[in-house]
Amino acid sequence: MEQNACIEVRGVSKTFRDGGRSVHALDDISFSACSGEFVTFIGPSGSGKSTLFNLITGLSEPDTGDILIGGQAVGRRTGLVGYMPQRDLLLPWRSVLNNVILGPELDGQSRRAARQQARELLPLFGLEGFEHAYPDTLSGGMRQRAALLRTFLTGREVLLLDEPFGALDALTRRELQRWLLDVWQRFRKTILFITHDVEEAVFLADRVLVFSARPGRIVTTLEVDLPRPRRSLSLMSDDLRRLEADLLSALEAGNGA
Amino acid sequence: MMRTGHTANAATPAPHAAGLVLLVQDLTRAVILSGAAGLVLLLFALGTAQLVNEARAVDNLSFEDIFPSPGEVYDAWELHQDRLLADHIPETLWETLAGLAMAVVLGVLIAGLMDFSPLLRWVLYPVLVVSQTIPIFAIAILLILIFGFGSGPKITVVVLFCFFPVALSTFSGLQSTDPELLSLLRAMGGNSFQLWTKARLPAAMPSFFAGLRIAATYSVVGAIFGEYITAQVGLGVFLKRSYSSFRLDQAYLAIILTAVLSLLLVLLVGLIERLALRWYYTSRRRSWRGPGIY
Ligand SMILES: Nc1ncnc2c1ncn2[C@@H]1O[C@H](COP(=O)(O)OP(=O)(O)OP(=O)(O)O)[C@@H](O)[C@H]1O
Ligand SMILES: [Mg+2]
Repeated sequence: MEQNACIEVRGVSKTFRDGGRSVHALDDISFSACSGEFVTFIGPSGSGKSTLFNLITGLSEPDTGDILIGGQAVGRRTGLVGYMPQRDLLLPWRSVLNNVILGPELDGQSRRAARQQARELLPLFGLEGFEHAYPDTLSGGMRQRAALLRTFLTGREVLLLDEPFGALDALTRRELQRWLLDVWQRFRKTILFITHDVEEAVFLADRVLVFSARPGRIVTTLEVDLPRPRRSLSLMSDDLRRLEADLLSALEAGNGA
Repeated sequence: MMRTGHTANAATPAPHAAGLVLLVQDLTRAVILSGAAGLVLLLFALGTAQLVNEARAVDNLSFEDIFPSPGEVYDAWELHQDRLLADHIPETLWETLAGLAMAVVLGVLIAGLMDFSPLLRWVLYPVLVVSQTIPIFAIAILLILIFGFGSGPKITVVVLFCFFPVALSTFSGLQSTDPELLSLLRAMGGNSFQLWTKARLPAAMPSFFAGLRIAATYSVVGAIFGEYITAQVGLGVFLKRSYSSFRLDQAYLAIILTAVLSLLLVLLVGLIERLALRWYYTSRRRSWRGPGIY
């Protein structure tokens, strides 16, 4: 089980071709994350972050390079990691409760047990009282929280979260960030997390990987040595600001300035 | 940067030449479109004139013969009520419902096959279209040879009328499933069967019901049509006998009953649809909140 929590990406490149045009999305990406690490990805729009996640999920394959999860090549195998895409992609014909248990259901587990587990987490995600609502009747932020809960309930060791808090208000965002850190430490999940928010990238991470503009390369790896548990921002604001400034300049450098 | 398009490497007169080409294109389009509109209007006028002339030429029936009063139609109902309720309506209803049910199963099956394999789609699509161009009269004899004079040929006619809208709309519903949704299910480890049952089929349901509503509308008419060709019982037979004995009050009765049956059936389908697609109708895009983008 512990082995499954390791992900290794080695020299991965990807170019999209359609018709005459070709888009070089990723160039020689290498990194690894193991047993309970929290890695955030930040970079300009179009730098291939979502593309990288699609490769890790096994939905598509890299042109060159390897992706290993738990020591095994991913190739075209899917279902090894939990994945929360940028769009919430909830099933419109299912209630919130039935949406969030999709993972266990696809795994062939008992729906009743999954629902029980989901119900316990609903309050934390601010979805209490909405379990029987359809996604189309929820606000954008609530939909995103439902998608996040769905990803957690897959029970996978490695979780890929593509801008999970992008559409949330500052307060809920802060609350869910803390919750995420909590869960992550309790269950030793390995989390890869894409964000556009410099503060979020630093606050959550053990390590921040900074992507350059297209073709996406990792231009900087920023180690975040802030003490954990990180409950309050104010306690460490000086260090946090310093790291944020570092990150911003790395981003500017990578943006081809 | 100015967008110069294909004329980018031409010299100074290029913008004028491009402008001229655009002008000619616009003019051509205007001429063709107004020509088409004029043609439609002309045919409409000619058609109407023909109808009016022919109606005026035939006047061996009085207005009262052609349009019996509601009272007369009701008298016809009183007179034939027993036979209608005991024999004709049940037979027509049976043919309709059996045919519709078979059309649903067949239509969904065909839609599924076409969605499943591009090769099958390529083979089945022309067959479907051709099946709709066969005049039913042309195969009526064939159906009678196969099934005899009972309900069989009529049920078949209903199926032929109804499976096409079901198949076509279910197919387009299956095809319209959000590809990113399917990708997500794949990424989560779902297999092809699960993608089908958990995404494609539910996504196709609104389209399926749209097709079913059309099919339900046609189904009763299909049964009557089948009976009209040959039968011993059914509303179609009643209609045919009414016409051959010039009992227009009875004919109207048959028409009204057909309409009522169709209406009830469509309402029933609508009710089932509401129950089955609660998510679709509670979605705020279609509910009391009114128009808006959230
Ligand atoms: N299937 C595809 N075919 C062609 N081009 C693609 C395809 N998928 C992605 N791209 C291109 O690859 C580049 C990277 O896209 P990607 O979605 O990974 O960016 P991103 O870093 O996630 O951006 P954002 O922060 O805006 O979400 C983009 O230029 C995109 O147009
Ligand atoms: Mg993205």
